[in-house]
Amino acid sequence: MTALQHVTVTVNGITYERSVDPRLSLVDFLRHELHLTGTHVGCEHGVCGACTIIKDGMAVRSCLLLAVQSDGTNLQTVEGLRNAETGELHPIQQAFIDEHGLQCGFCTPGFLMSTLELLADNPSPTDQEIKDALDGNLCRCTGYQSIIKSVRLAAAKTSGGKLAGTHGSA
Amino acid sequence: MTSTIPKLPQDMPVTSPRYVGKEVKRIEDPGLVTGRTEFIDNLKLPGMAHAAILRTPHPHARIIRVDASAAEQLPGVVAVLTGEDIKRWCNVGATSPEGWGSTPMAVEKVRFVGEPVAAVAAISRYVAEDALELIEVEYELLEAVTNPEEAQAPNAPKLFEHNASNVILDRNYTWGDVDRVFAEADHVYTEKFRWNRVGANPMETSGCVCQWDVVNNSLTCYGSYQTPGFIALGRAASLNLPSNRVKVVAHPHGGSFGGKGGPRGTDIAALLSRKADGKPVKYIEDRVEYLLAGAGQSWDRYYQASLAVKADGTLVGLKVNLVDDQGAGAEGYGTISAAKPLAAFTGCYTIEAAQYDLKLVATNRAPTYPYRGYGPPPHNFVLESMVDIAARDLGMDAAQIRRMNYIAPDQFPYTIPSGNEYDSGRYEVVLDKVIAMANYREMRELQVKARTEGRLLGIGIVNTVEPGVFDWNAYSTVGVPGVGVPEGVKVSIDILGQITVTVGFALEGQGQYTLAAQLVADYFGVEMESVRVTYASTDIAPPHFGHGGSRLGVAISGAIMGACNKIEEKFRLVSAALMQCEPEQIELMDGHLRVKGMPGAEMHIAQVAGTMLGRSDLLPPGMEPCPEASFVWTAPDRNEPDEQGRCKSYLTAANACHIAMVEVDRDTGVTDVLKYFIVDDCGTRLNPATVEGQIQGGVAQGVGAVLYEEYVYAADGQPLVSLFSDYLLPGIHEVPMTEKGALETPSPVTPLGAKGCGEGAIHTTPATIMCAINDAIHPLGIQITETPASPNRLWQLLQEVR
Ligand code: FES
Ligand code: FES
Repeated sequence: MTALQHVTVTVNGITYERSVDPRLSLVDFLRHELHLTGTHVGCEHGVCGACTIIKDGMAVRSCLLLAVQSDGTNLQTVEGLRNAETGELHPIQQAFIDEHGLQCGFCTPGFLMSTLELLADNPSPTDQEIKDALDGNLCRCTGYQSIIKSVRLAAAKTSGGKLAGTHGSA
Repeated sequence: MTSTIPKLPQDMPVTSPRYVGKEVKRIEDPGLVTGRTEFIDNLKLPGMAHAAILRTPHPHARIIRVDASAAEQLPGVVAVLTGEDIKRWCNVGATSPEGWGSTPMAVEKVRFVGEPVAAVAAISRYVAEDALELIEVEYELLEAVTNPEEAQAPNAPKLFEHNASNVILDRNYTWGDVDRVFAEADHVYTEKFRWNRVGANPMETSGCVCQWDVVNNSLTCYGSYQTPGFIALGRAASLNLPSNRVKVVAHPHGGSFGGKGGPRGTDIAALLSRKADGKPVKYIEDRVEYLLAGAGQSWDRYYQASLAVKADGTLVGLKVNLVDDQGAGAEGYGTISAAKPLAAFTGCYTIEAAQYDLKLVATNRAPTYPYRGYGPPPHNFVLESMVDIAARDLGMDAAQIRRMNYIAPDQFPYTIPSGNEYDSGRYEVVLDKVIAMANYREMRELQVKARTEGRLLGIGIVNTVEPGVFDWNAYSTVGVPGVGVPEGVKVSIDILGQITVTVGFALEGQGQYTLAAQLVADYFGVEMESVRVTYASTDIAPPHFGHGGSRLGVAISGAIMGACNKIEEKFRLVSAALMQCEPEQIELMDGHLRVKGMPGAEMHIAQVAGTMLGRSDLLPPGMEPCPEASFVWTAPDRNEPDEQGRCKSYLTAANACHIAMVEVDRDTGVTDVLKYFIVDDCGTRLNPATVEGQIQGGVAQGVGAVLYEEYVYAADGQPLVSLFSDYLLPGIHEVPMTEKGALETPSPVTPLGAKGCGEGAIHTTPATIMCAINDAIHPLGIQITETPASPNRLWQLLQEVR
């Protein structure tokens, strides 16, 4: 077995230090080493977007990265969206509930994180911009219409003010 | 929107429902949006090992030797499973016709690329996959048959040597005087169609954790199971266990659409656990496995259809000849899918006679499995395309020919030639509504204008009947006996008046837990928050089936109404004793048991439940201290089919009409869906928001099937699809944002008037878009009769008329 490699990574504001197999994927690291199982795996080859997380402010596919590539980075995952102190959901989460933006919910964490990135860059996106931002996320259940509505609602609820990042993030 | 609940308060003791019929927020969602819901890959059991499966690269080969000794030696490996273990421990799966099934892992020969030949359990999936590379398998390659024509050729290599040929089933159904009808018709139109393989592809692949209790010889399987009770029974049969020694625990799953029914992975993980002396073993199918060989390929069909029509456009007869490539052996309930169209064979029309020739053939492709809608999506594509062919020839408008052939509202209940009875419908009202919404006339004007500009603009207008609430009797003539599909719930009220509903199915995405809470909350006049819906594993759940066949919404409503009704009866007796009157004087209304005609004389249900559990001294003699009830619902009035398969099978007949406007790019063959309108009549909408979600989701899958998705196989039997970059699921840019309208014709035969509604859109969308494309291109003298109408396929067709 290859020698383990040391990784220091901050996820949702908490810093973790682990020794990992160099071939361990980032999504497996998050799910199985850090027990952050909210990030899902739909394809493991970079197409479906279920594994989307935010790495140093940018949405990335955690199935296409290795855990060792996250060394020294700041990650945000779906677990960080809800405010653990108040119990309040993030406006994007609430909007997906309000507009029925999910069915099975397996794709949802990926959509939420892509939306987080979108609204951080563009607080009042047009429908076309919403579609362009989410076209790397596949959903097999909803047919996307309610997802677009959810993003619109999230934007409306947060526009004007700066959209909060994930809880505990820098 | 809000739906009106018919027959109140007879059906539900509430003056004005607060939840049922409203766009209620789903109780499933907080767990899902926070990533807390326990999908199967989140589950970890102490000492758990991880499985990986070695799959054959050959479509047809004899296994000469499997040497797993090196894999067994690899540090971290806890068990290796090969065909030898299968031979010793395992039976052929029970989901295929006699003589056509396979064991979960190949023993003597492999019949499709991706069929398991060995498996490893190890301390991690990574190590398990390392071990697979150390397993040597020696094959003797056999000639493969890769389509039904090859498979039926004289001297074709046989997949199952003990059978006479590769034909699994060959039968004819004749309903009515088909010969006379066709002889007397003014026109008979005949056309061939090809529907290529597509599949469910839920975002979560299937997975499980299995633990074999080697001391007590019993098995527990946790997994993403759509129909837990059925899976448990199947494991008992395939793994040689008494049925009460298999416990299945279904986890919430990331979609299924029929495509998670494959039990091979579960059987393999179970046997690995057995071999590992009872260590739990997790197996998570990866997407490549799913695409190659998972239980996710469906409908590989060759059709020839004939439609008999009178000069005035009256449709009188329909013949459909189907050759269905089942892949390697019909293990995925293949016969069922081919037989389902019997439930709505002639669609919305008063066609008087029909015939169905059905031939299921085994080939060296992956076995086919169920997919949302089951048989009708391809069948409706054929039927509705034939109607358009007739209309074009007769110079009739596509809407007009449909309208004049509808079953009229006063003809219901209506028995179609293939035997099913439609409960109700108002097809013309649906048509008129969608025509108005779409501004159909203006669309046609736009089309005329576009044509003069040389653009290929087309309109599809298609209507279907969605058979809802499946019953086994629909499939008796193809070898699946039985009448009735039980669905049970338990409703319990605790000493403080809080209510728990126990069901036998896990979350899958359709919002059925929310529906259960809505129904119970309104029945007992409590807040939805005080109703909890909980899952019971197969060993303790009431008899159940779970998701499937556009059935669960209606079935769960029936079960909940039944259970609540039983509790109401008990409460009537108890409250009568407490309020010193006769039980007949008591009524339950809005959460209170009231003495009729005596305002103020009432008890809240919590008081009654509390008394039952805490004051046995006050109960009427013989009353159990048990404020709970179970009820198992099945569709009423189902019967055994005759020899032509005719019976009352699916309980409800929903109806939808879709109108699409598409533009085909002459240079690239790309089809752009410009506008899409839907009116759907699925009876009472118990939660209109989730019904709408079902419709839009079905549209998306329909668009995928008709424009993009295809399991492509090379001529030598090698699958060319193994990634999402080869199998093209529609994304947010591809799925049309549809405009939807509703009509509600309550079903006279179901609780609260709801009809099955999970599959209607996938029944209708492929046909609608295909008809629109043909409407666009027919002026060029061409038509497309093969799905998907991918850019490549359309471009080739367009090149022919360049
Ligand atoms: S799992 Fe990472 S993109 Fe699909
Ligand atoms: S909600 Fe099921 S895949 Fe998107």
